[in-house]
Amino acid sequence: MTDPAPSGTGPLQDVRGFALALDRSYQPATHMWVKLTGPGRVRIGMDPVGIETSGTLAQLSLPEPGADLTAGRPFGQLEAVKFVGPLTSPVSGTVLAVNPAAAADPGLVERDPFGDGWLIGAELADPAGLDALLADPAEITSWYAARITEYRLSGAIAE
Amino acid sequence: MLRVIDFGRVTPLRSQTLWHAVAYGVSAGQPATLSFARPSGPYVCLDYLRDAAEVDGEFCRSRGLPVYRRMVGGGPVYLDDRQLFFQICVPASAVSPSRASALRWLLEPAVAAFRAAGIAARLDDDGEICMGDQKICGHGAGQIEDAVVVCGNLIEAFDHECATSVLALPDPVQRAETLRLMRRYVTATPASPAVFCASLADAYASALGLRAGPGVLSRAELASAADLDDRFSTAEWLAGPGRASRPGRQGRQVKIRAGIWTFAAQTGSGARVMASVVKGRLDRVALTAPGLNGQARLAERALAGAPVSAAADVLSRFGGPGRELAAALAGAEGRL
Repeated sequence: MTDPAPSGTGPLQDVRGFALALDRSYQPATHMWVKLTGPGRVRIGMDPVGIETSGTLAQLSLPEPGADLTAGRPFGQLEAVKFVGPLTSPVSGTVLAVNPAAAADPGLVERDPFGDGWLIGAELADPAGLDALLADPAEITSWYAARITEYRLSGAIAE
Repeated sequence: MLRVIDFGRVTPLRSQTLWHAVAYGVSAGQPATLSFARPSGPYVCLDYLRDAAEVDGEFCRSRGLPVYRRMVGGGPVYLDDRQLFFQICVPASAVSPSRASALRWLLEPAVAAFRAAGIAARLDDDGEICMGDQKICGHGAGQIEDAVVVCGNLIEAFDHECATSVLALPDPVQRAETLRLMRRYVTATPASPAVFCASLADAYASALGLRAGPGVLSRAELASAADLDDRFSTAEWLAGPGRASRPGRQGRQVKIRAGIWTFAAQTGSGARVMASVVKGRLDRVALTAPGLNGQARLAERALAGAPVSAAADVLSRFGGPGRELAAALAGAEGRL
């Protein structure tokens, strides 16, 4: 199995100080993004708000190619300073590739979350699985802005 | 209600599986829970996803130390019956989505309990519970399903030698430096366990706005603990995923406490670098590089006290061999 897709990123929008790519789908609960890279194939990563609330990433534990993914279940872990949290899959399928650069340098996920900081490539078990995600640019922007405001008001992210 | 469960003295395996079972229980709707456990004997534990090669298996076998894996929590640590462990477990929805904020919020009550037990504890800027600049509580935090759990300990006595020896450190210079820093920056704070536990229950109840009361595991949690006993004992679980913790990176890095670590690596030509780092600055450096033509000591002196971020510049003054050593040193993860 291979993951030949380039990591290209479309234009980024600035939403209340956080970058947002509108060329992909999002799972709001986990701040994971999914980008189609070919028929039934996707790349998965984390958006900047999810990264910000996770803290400074020290280590990523990612699955091996061939591993099964189940929507809503962990596929790996991210270790920020003193806290280990799950990386939750937004889709079901099979892991095709793992980003070795991100595994070696978790800071890459912070520096380029929508591009070179992708986490895994996957083959979808069912393309309809994407239907459960936010895909409409207006809805994505609205959700993202509201979440940033909510997190700022609660002190979860800095003003 | 804050459910308080004192498991007492339990086997090393149970000292891990019980708090996992509580996490599953809280995730499924059981109340926030503060639990205590003291392992009946020494053992080593590391995160399921960490590389088994981080543990000195031969040393552990020679001492009869079991090596277990927990679901979350990072690198290998040494535990024994002179460490009283506490675990605070709350629904993920009860804490800030900011993991750093959540962790500090869940550690503040522990600091209050240490202080109530007569120890001048504080939570430092790196998130360590310290007395002065010495770490006094080994803590870790993670999320299991929909529960957030923070584990910590009251260290009544600490075996620095054993805690270092369980780590696989092929470079003897790094081993010695790790032990030196562990002695310098990790210390025990013997205090009354009864006072500490009672204060911890009061402090967490106050922080969570709950009333503390004694509790027991539910039937489902007991079944979960039994299942975990079996699962955590299988050869497959104990072996872990069988891959490097940090693929693509060379060298061996050991964190003594937040901001303090040692690192050792070898270059393609056989040169070696060992460095210890304290708060972003190189504390001690040992270089073995024939290509430096006798300038290794000069390079070590130039590096000592320098910011880690300046190491490449300093080493570049020593030509190709220096740049090769800088590339090896760049394998260290400065965020630990």
